[in-house]
Amino acid sequence: MSAFPQQKQAQKGNFIDQLARSLSWEKFLFAVGIFFFLSMILFPFYWMVSSSFKSGVEIAGRAPVYIPSSLKWDAYRELFDPAWRSFQNFGLNIINSMLVAIPTALIAVILSIMGAYASARLRFKGREWILNGVLIVYLFPAVLLMIPLFAMLSQISQRFGFNVQDNLVILVLTYLAQTLPVALYMLTNYFRTIPDEIEQAALIDGCSRFEVIWRVTIPLAIPALVTIGIYTFMIAWNEFLYAFIFLNDRNTFTIPIKINTIFNDPSPRPHVVMAASTIMTIPIIVLFLAFEKYLSQGLTSGSVKG
Amino acid sequence: MAEISSRKKRFWLFSKSMHASEVRLAWLLILPTAIIVFGLVLFPAIFSVWISFHKIGLYNLNDVFHAPFIGFDNYKSVLSDFAFKWGGPKQWGAWVTTVFYSFISTFITLIGGLIAALLLNRPFRGRGLARSVFLFPYVAPVISVAFVWRWLLDPRPSGVLNHILISLGIIETQQAFLATRGLAIWLVILFQAWRYFPFAMLMILARLQAVDDTLYEAASVDGANTWQKFISITIPQIRYVLGAIFLLRLLWTFNKFDDIWLLTGGGYGTNVLPVLTFQFSFNMYDFGKGAATAMMMMAALIIFIIGYVLIIMRNSEEV
Repeated sequence: MSAFPQQKQAQKGNFIDQLARSLSWEKFLFAVGIFFFLSMILFPFYWMVSSSFKSGVEIAGRAPVYIPSSLKWDAYRELFDPAWRSFQNFGLNIINSMLVAIPTALIAVILSIMGAYASARLRFKGREWILNGVLIVYLFPAVLLMIPLFAMLSQISQRFGFNVQDNLVILVLTYLAQTLPVALYMLTNYFRTIPDEIEQAALIDGCSRFEVIWRVTIPLAIPALVTIGIYTFMIAWNEFLYAFIFLNDRNTFTIPIKINTIFNDPSPRPHVVMAASTIMTIPIIVLFLAFEKYLSQGLTSGSVKG
Repeated sequence: MAEISSRKKRFWLFSKSMHASEVRLAWLLILPTAIIVFGLVLFPAIFSVWISFHKIGLYNLNDVFHAPFIGFDNYKSVLSDFAFKWGGPKQWGAWVTTVFYSFISTFITLIGGLIAALLLNRPFRGRGLARSVFLFPYVAPVISVAFVWRWLLDPRPSGVLNHILISLGIIETQQAFLATRGLAIWLVILFQAWRYFPFAMLMILARLQAVDDTLYEAASVDGANTWQKFISITIPQIRYVLGAIFLLRLLWTFNKFDDIWLLTGGGYGTNVLPVLTFQFSFNMYDFGKGAATAMMMMAALIIFIIGYVLIIMRNSEEV
């Protein structure tokens, strides 16, 4: 019995010895570096989430409340509870953002399957020309395009009698224009890595082109399709500039424009802004973590402009 | 026999019309994408050149094509604009601010990304998780992170930075950091570095992991220390990827609108060309002037890219 604590002490001594031996300047710097980066990155996110659970009193206090004593739902109630004083009807904005982001992602995937199949598998004149042209689109920043788009679309709306302003379909189209070139480029490269022989075999077996695309090519390209779908969803979900220009009516506001409106309200309510930001950020972070493997590859292939 | 011949026939039919039908199918498949990209990217880009030579305001926006041609007046008006031109060290003007801000923030982003990549290149427990977390600033929506930063830098007593600096005795009273000329531009640069270093990190990390380990082993045998190994193996190995990231990030930073607009609204010495373009067109409704500003941005970018490609690519061939 008496030998037990001694043994433990010996082990402990061993441990400290080991620690001392393994400690070096290099490791110390490394630990400090990791800690520095993690805290710089995570603190703003912590601040966003924790601020969203504070009351107006805590927000406007004489010092920041670093750890809220209890979860206050004031901010969320202002966003969602119709009985609240300055009810923001945020649910509508979430629906608007989804109405923009989900169709953009789905259409981008469908159109890029079609386009990429054509440019990877079929031989036609102008194929290389299209692929290179797609890369040039990389050069045109959103800021350059916003003026002609605005002028053009108001001209078109004048002629054909529909509303360009406050029209979510226009937003979907402009986001598609921004994301399709890159989606097409990525998917073309991916299709080229799938051996042509599989499709040739299916063709010779009597499948039509569309059957081949549906039964062979698409199932083999699922990872790339997921990547493209999530990227375009994220871009459409996060986009600010075009939505800012094209949306004027409160009922069509997407989440970013709504957050901007709440932020610029004459009576500042940072906790509400942070609550809305939290709601906007969580789906993105969850999607990112769930599909990180694919998304990182896409990032390194330089597919995301931002 | 009959079966074989029918098969042959089908194959023959197939191959004869194959090319024509393939071309038709290809164009059919690519048409929707082509229409969208042409209609909403390429045509507007050309159209914006046209706009930059015409006088277009809100009043004649509905009749753009009959707008009066005014030659280079829009360009002259931009060049002589108070917000654009250099007005001494206190009033940098948008183009100097833009060049300063894009180069410095790209540089800091690159350094941050390099350090992060070196940290994550070492195996340790939880590395995968750390890598995911390091990417958060890049994937999170710009509006949420920009507003968190504004809230952290808030001039009210409950602003975190103010509270920390006052408790440490560095400042006496609360400051409106983002509304301080001179400081605001550095905060915007820091924000850019914070938000975009993960992009540089991922690219560098991918390259680092492809570096041949035997190089390091050989250097160890020769008695090189960590720093020497870094300078004479790591840096030469990742030189090209660093150059490529620098170019990409510089282009994107140069064109970036959202970040600065959301942080400072382009005030307090942070007015850059994209924000100025926006202000000319959507606050002053002078679309011609806005387009002229955008065209100058494009021209600067194209000149820069050509120069970069000529210098860097030529050097890379020599080495």
